[in-house]
Amino acid sequence: MSDSNEALGPNGEPRIVVTGIGLVTPVGTGREQVWGNLLAGVSGITKVESFDTSRHSVDIGGEIKGFEPEPWFRNLDPSQVGRASQLAICAARQAVDEAGVEGAGLAPERIGVAMGTTSGEPGLVEQFDDRWLDGELPHVGGEFMGLYPCHVIAAHVASEFGFGGVNTMLPAACAAGNYAVGFALDALRGGRADLMLAGGADAFSRITYTGFARLGAIAPEKCQPFDRDRRGMVPGEAAAILVLERLADARARGARIWAEVGGYGLSCDAHHMTAAHPEGDGAARAMKEALRHAGLDADDVSYVSAHGTGTPTNDRLETKAFRQVFGDRDLPISSIKSMIGHTMGAASAIESAVCSMAVAEDRVPPTINFTEPDPDCDLDCVPNEARDVDVQVAMNNAYAFGGNNASVIFQKIA
Amino acid sequence: MQKRRVVVTGVGTVSSLGNDPAQLHSALVAGETGFREVDLFDTEGLRSPRAAQVDFDPRAFFGKRNFRPVDRTGRLVIAAAELALGSAGITAEALADLQVGLVLGTMFGSVHTISAFDRRGLEAGPKYVKPLDFANSVINAAAGQAAIWHGLRGSNSTVAGGTTAGLQALARGLDMVRLGRGTLLLAGGGEELCFESMMGFQQAGRLARDGGPDGPFPRPFDADGSGVLLGEGSALLMLEEAEHAAGRGATVRAEILGHGSFFDVSRGADPEVARSALERAARLALDDAGLGADDVDLVTSGGSGLVPQDRIEARAIASVLGDRAGEVPVMAVKGAIGECLGASGAFQVMAAIEAVAHGEVPPIAGFEAAAADGPSLGFAARSRALRGGRVLATALGLSGNATALVLDAGRPGTGGPR
Repeated sequence: MSDSNEALGPNGEPRIVVTGIGLVTPVGTGREQVWGNLLAGVSGITKVESFDTSRHSVDIGGEIKGFEPEPWFRNLDPSQVGRASQLAICAARQAVDEAGVEGAGLAPERIGVAMGTTSGEPGLVEQFDDRWLDGELPHVGGEFMGLYPCHVIAAHVASEFGFGGVNTMLPAACAAGNYAVGFALDALRGGRADLMLAGGADAFSRITYTGFARLGAIAPEKCQPFDRDRRGMVPGEAAAILVLERLADARARGARIWAEVGGYGLSCDAHHMTAAHPEGDGAARAMKEALRHAGLDADDVSYVSAHGTGTPTNDRLETKAFRQVFGDRDLPISSIKSMIGHTMGAASAIESAVCSMAVAEDRVPPTINFTEPDPDCDLDCVPNEARDVDVQVAMNNAYAFGGNNASVIFQKIA
Repeated sequence: MQKRRVVVTGVGTVSSLGNDPAQLHSALVAGETGFREVDLFDTEGLRSPRAAQVDFDPRAFFGKRNFRPVDRTGRLVIAAAELALGSAGITAEALADLQVGLVLGTMFGSVHTISAFDRRGLEAGPKYVKPLDFANSVINAAAGQAAIWHGLRGSNSTVAGGTTAGLQALARGLDMVRLGRGTLLLAGGGEELCFESMMGFQQAGRLARDGGPDGPFPRPFDADGSGVLLGEGSALLMLEEAEHAAGRGATVRAEILGHGSFFDVSRGADPEVARSALERAARLALDDAGLGADDVDLVTSGGSGLVPQDRIEARAIASVLGDRAGEVPVMAVKGAIGECLGASGAFQVMAAIEAVAHGEVPPIAGFEAAAADGPSLGFAARSRALRGGRVLATALGLSGNATALVLDAGRPGTGGPR
C-alpha cells in the first residue's frame, strides 16, 4: 500500500510507528552502540560498585558505570533529580533527537509521556533510610517527597522537553516498559496525543538487589537464560525511550520508521506474587491477546524477545507458555538479559527497541552464555551468535511480580 | 467508531469515615472528619500525630483467610475490592468464569514496606530480610495481591501520578473498557497511612498546622489553609460495559463519560501554566463526554488545604464554569478524610456519586471563607440540596499532573448526547 489508505489500520484507527529510539544500558549509551554490542554478544555484567555487597553472597550486576547526565540536560538541573530520572532524560534526549521531534512543529501539549518503572527513584528512599538509622531524620528535607514518588520520572522527562500532553507513570514492575508502550498506543490511536514518548527506567538499587539475593534468584557468575545450568537472573539498571507517532505523520516528515506497533495484550496470573503460573496461563493469555489485538496469528510471528530472566523457574514456565501459543513450531526466541541483566522497568522498553530494530534490520540478538540445552526449555534461543532472520513480526514478552503480564507486537510496515 | 459506553455497577470503600459509600456520605453531610491521633505506628518525631487513619481490623474483615502475606495497602485494596464486587453482584463463582480487570491508582504502593525492608537489610543484614516483604515492595504489589485474593485474571494495571493517580486510574479504566479490553474492570485507588509518608510530607512543609484534638484540620479553599493532613483508604468502582450491565440486570449507579489530562511543565512553579493545564484537562474531559461547561451540576475537586495548589485549582474551575462559577457547588472531600494521595481521586468520585444519589452536597469540612484574592466558587460550609447529576472531577498534582473526569450519576445509563 502506498496510497492514503496506508495511514489507517484494518479497523479504521491510525497506524502507529516507532520513529525514535533512545537507550542507556550496561552495554552502552545510544542506539547504535547498544544494538551493535547486543548483536556482538557483549556482556555488561560486572562487579557491583554502587553499594557494599560484602554481606551478600553474590556481587555481580548490570550497572551503568561512569554515567554523566549533564550532556543530556538542557533545562532541568541533573543534580536536582534522581538517577532513574537522569537515565530517562538521557534516553529521551536521544529518541527525541533521532525522531526530529523538536523541529517537527508539533504543539507541545499534544506530546505525551508514558513511562514504566519497578522502583521509581529508590535512591531517595535509601537515603531516607540511611538518615533514619543514623538518627538524622530531622535533616530530611523536601527532596524526599519531591523526588522519590515514582511518577516524577515521567514528570521530569516532560518538564525537560516542555511536553504538556498526557503524562503517566505505570509501575508494573518488570513488565512496565510494555505497559507504557500499550498506553501510548491507545493514546495515539484515540487521538489523545500526536506523539508519545514511551519507555521505562530503573536505577540500580540496594533494595532490589537485596530482595532478589534473598530470594536466591541472583546468578553467581553470569546470566544463562534457557541453559540447563542456568542459576539465576542479574539485576541491572537502564532507561529506554521510544518515540511513537502516527504513520501518516512520520511519512509526511520523512522520519525514519523502525517498526509499526501492531498491538498489545495484558493479563494477570492471579496466582502468586513472585512466581509465574505453573502452566504459564497468564503469559499465554497475554500473547494471544496481543496477537488478537494486532489481527495476527501465531504463525505470523517471526521472532520473540523473551522475558528470559535466567532463573530456573521463569525460563521453564516461559517455555510452557510459548508452546501453548506456538505449538511445536520453532522460531527464534532470545533473551538480551543474558548480556545486560534484568533492568527491571526498563527491561521491556529496551526489548521493545530491540524488536523494532530487529524488524527494521532483519537481525536478531543472541542469548549468550549458552552451553547446555535444557529439555525443559526446548527453544531456539539463538545461542551465542546473532542471526539474520526475516523479521516480519516480532513479539515482546514481559512478566512481572504481581502476575502482571504484557506482550507487545512490532511489525514491518506492510 | 462508536465508543462502548461504560457504567458504574458497583462501589466499594474502606475509609476513615466508614466502609460503606452511603455511610461516608452521611458522615460528610454531618460535617464529621476522620482525623484522630494515629495509633497505627509510633509518631515520635512527627510534630503532629493527627491524620485520618482508617479503623480497620483485618481479622474481623478477612476471617480465617491468611492475610499475613499482604501489607496494609494491599489489605485496604482487597477489602474495598471485595465490597465493590459484592455491590456489583459479582459472586466468587462468577469470578471464576470472568476475566475481571483492575486499574489501581497509588502514589507509593507502600513506602513503609519498602523502607522497612531496606532498614532491616541494613540493620540485621541482607540475609534476614523477608521474601514476602520484597514481593510487597514493588509499587504494583497491592494490585497483584488483590488479583490473587479475588481471582482477578483480567488486565491488571497500577497507575502512579501522585494525588491525581485515582482519577488517572479511572480514566485508564474507562478507556480500557471502551476499547474492549475487558467488560468488567475495577478502577480506583488505594493508599496507606505510614510514618514514612507523614515524615516526608512534614519535612517538605506540606502538613497543616496542628489544630489540636478538635481541629481545625486542613481547610480546603479556605483563606486560612496551612497544608494537608494525610489520610488513607481505598475506593474502587466496578466499571462495566453498558450492554453487559443491562444484559445481567445490574444496578447502574453512574455512567463515566469522559476524561482529559495535560501536564503542567512548570510543575507548579508558574501558577498560570498550571491553571491552564487543569482548565484544558477539564475542557477535554467535557468534550470527551459530549457535554459543555453549562451541563456541569457538581464539581468534586482535589482541594486539600495547600493554599497555592487550591488557588490554582479554584481558578481553573472558575475558568471552566465561566458565568456559572458562583452557583455550581464544589466539593472537597480531603477536608474530611485527608489527603489520601493515590486514593483521593477515587474518593472524590465516589463521594460525588453518593451526593447525586442523595440529592445533597456535603459541606467542605474546615471551610469558612474563601481567600479574598481567589475566585468566587460554590464552596459551602453547610450541606445544600443538589439538582442534576453531571459531575466534573478535578485533580492537580504537586508534580505537574492535571486530570479531569466527567460522569453522570443522575440519569445513569441514559447518558449525554453523542
